[in-house]
Amino acid sequence: MTNPLRAIWEYLKEISGENAYDRYLAVHDATHPDKSPMSRGEFYRARQDEKYMNPGSRCP
Amino acid sequence: MGNSLRRYGIWVGIAIIGAVCWGVLALSRGETVNAAWLLFAAIASYAIAYRFYARFIQRRVLETDDSRATPAERLNNGQDFEPMDRRVLFGHHFAAIVGAGPLVGPVLAAQMGYLPGTVWIIVGVILAGAVQDMTTLFFSMRRNGKTLGQMAREEIGPVGGVAALIAVLSIMIILLAVLALVVVNALAASPWGAFSIAMTIPIALLMGVYLRFLRPGRVLEVSLIGVGLLILALVGGGWISESSAYAEAWTFGVNAIAIALIAYGFIASVLPVWVLLAPRDYLSTFMKIGTILLLAIGIAFTLPSIHMPKATEFAFNGQGPVFAGALFPFVFITIACGALSGFHSLIASGTTPKLIQKESQIRFIGYGAMLMESFVAVMAIIAATTLDPGVYFAMNANPSLLGDTVQSASQAVGGFGFSVDPQTLTQTAQNVGEDSIIGRTGGAPTLAVGMAQIFSGILGGPALQAFWYHFAIMFEALFILTTVDAGTRVGRFMIQDLVGNVVPAFRNASWLPGNLIASGLIVAGWGYFLIAGVNDPLGGINQLFPLFGIANQLLAAVALTVGTTILIKMGKLRYAWVTALPLLWDASVTLTASYQKIFSTNPSLGFFAQRAQAQQSLDTGKVNDVMAALGAQSLDDVRQVLTNTTVDGVLSILFAAMIIIVIGDAVRVWFGIIRGGTEPELSEAPHEQSRLDSEGREIEEREPVRAGS
Repeated sequence: MTNPLRAIWEYLKEISGENAYDRYLAVHDATHPDKSPMSRGEFYRARQDEKYMNPGSRCP
Repeated sequence: MGNSLRRYGIWVGIAIIGAVCWGVLALSRGETVNAAWLLFAAIASYAIAYRFYARFIQRRVLETDDSRATPAERLNNGQDFEPMDRRVLFGHHFAAIVGAGPLVGPVLAAQMGYLPGTVWIIVGVILAGAVQDMTTLFFSMRRNGKTLGQMAREEIGPVGGVAALIAVLSIMIILLAVLALVVVNALAASPWGAFSIAMTIPIALLMGVYLRFLRPGRVLEVSLIGVGLLILALVGGGWISESSAYAEAWTFGVNAIAIALIAYGFIASVLPVWVLLAPRDYLSTFMKIGTILLLAIGIAFTLPSIHMPKATEFAFNGQGPVFAGALFPFVFITIACGALSGFHSLIASGTTPKLIQKESQIRFIGYGAMLMESFVAVMAIIAATTLDPGVYFAMNANPSLLGDTVQSASQAVGGFGFSVDPQTLTQTAQNVGEDSIIGRTGGAPTLAVGMAQIFSGILGGPALQAFWYHFAIMFEALFILTTVDAGTRVGRFMIQDLVGNVVPAFRNASWLPGNLIASGLIVAGWGYFLIAGVNDPLGGINQLFPLFGIANQLLAAVALTVGTTILIKMGKLRYAWVTALPLLWDASVTLTASYQKIFSTNPSLGFFAQRAQAQQSLDTGKVNDVMAALGAQSLDDVRQVLTNTTVDGVLSILFAAMIIIVIGDAVRVWFGIIRGGTEPELSEAPHEQSRLDSEGREIEEREPVRAGS
């Protein structure tokens, strides 16, 4: 049933943020079905800007 | 009954395997020992620590409570607060904590033999490093993801808070300088390396545009394209190095590369993130994880032999040519990442705690990810110690002691008590496609030679060694440059925030003058140390790496002090040793190292002893014997030594003073509580019932039976 390659692929999609827009759409449709959601481009641009406005830190 | 017997039987088995492996490592008398013993000693120790010690900390000391909603659940905004699958969060957290640190430190520490470094990496992570990461993660999570600095201010007091801030800024500056120095040493006089790294800039630009405008959010696709182009750049570098005309055009000296790095750091910090930083981030994360996996597979398949002795005499006499100082305290300073790294407390507070689904997951994410990083450090020490020790010392000793030719280097290595014939040095350089490997300090080239030998053992044979060497250099340089890029930006934001207290306009991150001034200040800070290090007659890595280690461990002291304070405030005095003992160890190591760096009369070790010799040489107008033996050849060199040692010495004093202030201030708070004079004030966010199950799914309409605890 669970193909390991497929599982890795799903994991990669999840961890890289590739499916973040799909998740956003799902949440958006559930919460504000009346408003039109951001387009894919708008969503990722907003997310990228937001993420790096507060860059936090990373290890050496 | 039978079941639990079987369960414990497994653990007894693992303990025996671990003990046997440790025994073989400790007692081996032969010329070489197989890396497998080291691998299994590490894995068995980690397994036991994770199963028993981490569980003890989670259940008894911290008492995580899965019925308590985490900030990710309570404050879920779909952005920085969001319950994230624990496996995904583990990946993010691991990618954020592991960098060049666990790869460089162990390589340098290998001068003392394989055992001191290995023992510290494994024991240190179990009792100190992973504990720090896990407790900081927990305390920050209970405080809605507050940063270490905020926690220090609230739990200890304003003095601790300010000290933490200064510690973070200064570690950032030293860290960036040391990392940039590693890259400079790897790329100098290497047309292949310089070309392929330079190509990462247009590749990142292309990826940035693609990701922002052409196919937004297609991260995997663009990363795949990026990695493909990287490999092309690597192959192209090989062609460049073979054509004499192009090779000359791409051959740069250390100063040219240093200045290019400084300019790059400034530009990258000023530009919007999507241009360079974001695409680089993806590229370097994929390369990082991929290469670490490859290294693990390579070591597991080839099971190389370790040629470095168990412990060299440098562990005891402190005369090592890679860095000065004896085993205690300098192994524990040199290997920070992989064993105990204060830097992690910045990631464990702030970003990761806002994404945790369930409190109990701090063990997997905090402790587990740190164990993984420690394993990376073990692999680095394996890669470095599989090299011929003579080659190792010819690559890592202060270049001015080695001279310019293979003959002089061979002679110098003989002087260290090891031997390598000139032929071997020429051959090793040829195998990896470089003109020379002599005096390539900084750890990265050594690791790359080790990795090239391991990789070519599984794929490509000797023919591909040069390719694998430059692959390894490229991967290290790539993520060091990403750290330089990101670190400069973090520093810039900190300065903007700091100056913003006085000039409010600075707070606005998109205000260009503020951006330019703050970026300039940070770049000037690390750029100064980089240029000084590149031209340091005593060897930049030799002088700067201990400072970096001390700064990193200073931050760990802050994190462990905060942790101990919170444990005492929670009424867990009898468990406070969990963070207090690592703190005691960390403080003794750091303060002893600082003491020796400041007060040692041995001119190869003490900054001020070096300074006195430099001063004496200047006074007499002649380079004295001590200075000459350390590597200063002219009066200009001596002047440089005078400046560098003054700056480094003053910094050492500053770091030691910070440690004493932070711990002293905290001890005051501890005794206040223990004596009962002051009421402990915990600033935890209040308990709220969780509505998520252990897999992060919403629990259906079921009213909580039990409220509060």
